Amino acid sequence: MSDHTTIPSSSKGITRRQFSATAATGALLTTAAAGLPLRKARAATPLKLGILLPRSGHLALIGQACQRGADVGLAMLKEMGYSVEFMNADTESNPDVGRTQAEKLIREGANMLMGAFDSATTLAIAGVAEQKGVPLVVNIAAEPKLTEQGFKYTFRNFPSAGMLGKGGLLLYKDMFAAAGVTPKTAVLLHVNDSFGMGMLNGINALMPKLDLPFQIVETIAYDPKARDLSIEVAKAKAAKADFVMTVTRLNDAILLVREMVKQQVETMGITSPGSPGMYDKQFLKALGKYAEFCSVNIPWFDPKQEMAAQLQQRFEKAHPDESCDLNVGFTFEAVLIAADAHKRAGSNDPAALTEALRATNIAKRVMIGGAIKFEANGQNMNLRSAVVQNLNGKPTVVLPAESAEAKFVFPMPPFKSRG
Amino acid sequence: MNAGTLFSSRSARLLLGLLAVLSLAPLGVDDYTLSILIAVLLQAYLGMSWNVMMGFAGQFSLGHALYIGLGAYAAGALFIHFGVSPWIGVFAGMTVSVAVSSVIGMLGFRFKVMGVYFALLTIAFAEFTRVLFDHWGWVGASSGLVLPVTNRVSDDFWLLRGSTSMFYYLILAMTVAGFLFSRSLLMRRIGYYWQAIRENEDAADALGIPVFRYKMIAVVISAAMTSVGGMFIAFFSNNLFPESIFSMHRSLELILGPIIGGVGTLFGPILGAVILTAMGETFTILGEHVGIDGVKQIAYGICLLAILIVKPNGVWPWLRHRLGLDGDGK
Repeated sequence: MSDHTTIPSSSKGITRRQFSATAATGALLTTAAAGLPLRKARAATPLKLGILLPRSGHLALIGQACQRGADVGLAMLKEMGYSVEFMNADTESNPDVGRTQAEKLIREGANMLMGAFDSATTLAIAGVAEQKGVPLVVNIAAEPKLTEQGFKYTFRNFPSAGMLGKGGLLLYKDMFAAAGVTPKTAVLLHVNDSFGMGMLNGINALMPKLDLPFQIVETIAYDPKARDLSIEVAKAKAAKADFVMTVTRLNDAILLVREMVKQQVETMGITSPGSPGMYDKQFLKALGKYAEFCSVNIPWFDPKQEMAAQLQQRFEKAHPDESCDLNVGFTFEAVLIAADAHKRAGSNDPAALTEALRATNIAKRVMIGGAIKFEANGQNMNLRSAVVQNLNGKPTVVLPAESAEAKFVFPMPPFKSRG
Repeated sequence: MNAGTLFSSRSARLLLGLLAVLSLAPLGVDDYTLSILIAVLLQAYLGMSWNVMMGFAGQFSLGHALYIGLGAYAAGALFIHFGVSPWIGVFAGMTVSVAVSSVIGMLGFRFKVMGVYFALLTIAFAEFTRVLFDHWGWVGASSGLVLPVTNRVSDDFWLLRGSTSMFYYLILAMTVAGFLFSRSLLMRRIGYYWQAIRENEDAADALGIPVFRYKMIAVVISAAMTSVGGMFIAFFSNNLFPESIFSMHRSLELILGPIIGGVGTLFGPILGAVILTAMGETFTILGEHVGIDGVKQIAYGICLLAILIVKPNGVWPWLRHRLGLDGDGK
């Protein structure tokens, strides 16, 4: 079609009345698309929980994993006597969309919000929650400012970046004590994106304060989108450090270990103080026997908790090809926290729900740590990192001792001895 | 152009009708709908800012997120660290943006970096600045800058803390001002010079138009206007992260409105913003009903492609013709 479309004589131009109608329609087009601003009456039960997750966009894979955790957990929670209805919204990995979706969910009657995996979007949603007086339970988001802003309606059951870094590094002492071997030197390989640089700064700041028994003799940064890490691995090999510390994403973690096998970098261990990648199902599938003994210090399922085993079983049954990891666990717990507050509040009123959230005390949970309780700033401090080591093709908790399923293997067997 | 000419024209009277409807919107809609209207107006405003450089003067930029980020961070950081009002901070943002855009313009135009190569230069500066802000502690580095949010009873217009309605009226005023300013530029000698440069730079030069100077003016005006939009984003969204504010995605989102509406036209960026937001919201609802993640993005992409194939010059030139407004300016 061209711009020179013939206009029929009978419709030469459009009358002003028609145009006015068109203009008004145009102005309110989005209003119509969004639906009329009808406020629905709020029933006492069940809880209408607005779930905001990045199910599309660049964080889609993780957002979908979180959604699976919520969906699998819903049936479990109903059996436990909780009454929850989900109102799902996709944040599209975009904070601006997250904000409007939060407003939409509240308009449509959400009594409480849950989300939203990434810190920027969660902060945008927390702002809306604060303005509207609707409580928000954060499943995953590590930005410290979320609980340092004085928000009254935001509750986070996930460690802040500082807690993650410190918890992950402190575990090295326990790891070496459990293994009975104390290495003296490490080489640190890390991604150079915002996450990797943030971790590096945290490690550099905490290392002197934590009195760790080893020194980082070489720090090597690389692009997480790199297709070849041969130079970086060669440099790490030349450092002749006792073990390798990594801060990775998924694809580069695979590339890194594959290259270490290729260059025969025999080291006492490949460990991460807290980053994704090495516990992922794709990492285990891609590397097979070479994925064995790699370890990560992160918050994880508590194998000693019955609820965790039940959730993992149900998840494996529903999604046999997907990883049942911390994204699933923390999202389930966020829904549990919301449902528990609703049950205790006996009301759908946001103010009553907020008060109930403040008084949360859940001892039976799925992640490692003490009872879920919130400080005055909305942060749960009873969260612990675990050492998760790949053993027999499965991420396995090896520390802390009270949750361990197996013993920590360190030094790890050399690559060449694995057949 | 004078005000009399503007307000006596048929299209202007119709636009005033539209403005009246928009002015009354907060009385009849809720905060969610207002947020959607804010998204439309913000996209329209930013599209108009980019349009000055590309649509009027023909200088292609794919890195306008740079000026959004500079405006946002300047106003946001001054507010957080010194309690400076965004109405003062916005001038700091404009000053920085003008300075940076001058450097980009000087480099590009002096060394005859043109077309897509100039666009690449703008991307490079945006990326470079993103990395810089990612490591600059004073602005929060990669942890970002978070403006305090409180549950307020009243609006504070001086500090831009308050209700969605307040932000709605602000962006409405900015869009109207941007529209009038763009029209004013286009109808003056500077606008004709720009159009001459856009159509044929060598011919314009041969006619004695100081090409370098006028291209520089287009770049700095566009950058300054965009940075005002950045200030709005900072205070409306309340949190700034280098990764999102300087992102390539934001630069692309910014130029989509004018491209769909009509590059170089006055009403094109506004119409483009309305079409894109309405499409986005419609496909969001559709996606929720279908229950397949990502269906919105697929449908959105197909529709964009269809519009660009059917109306490569944008929708507004066609619609203007259909409405019989061809002789009524741009």
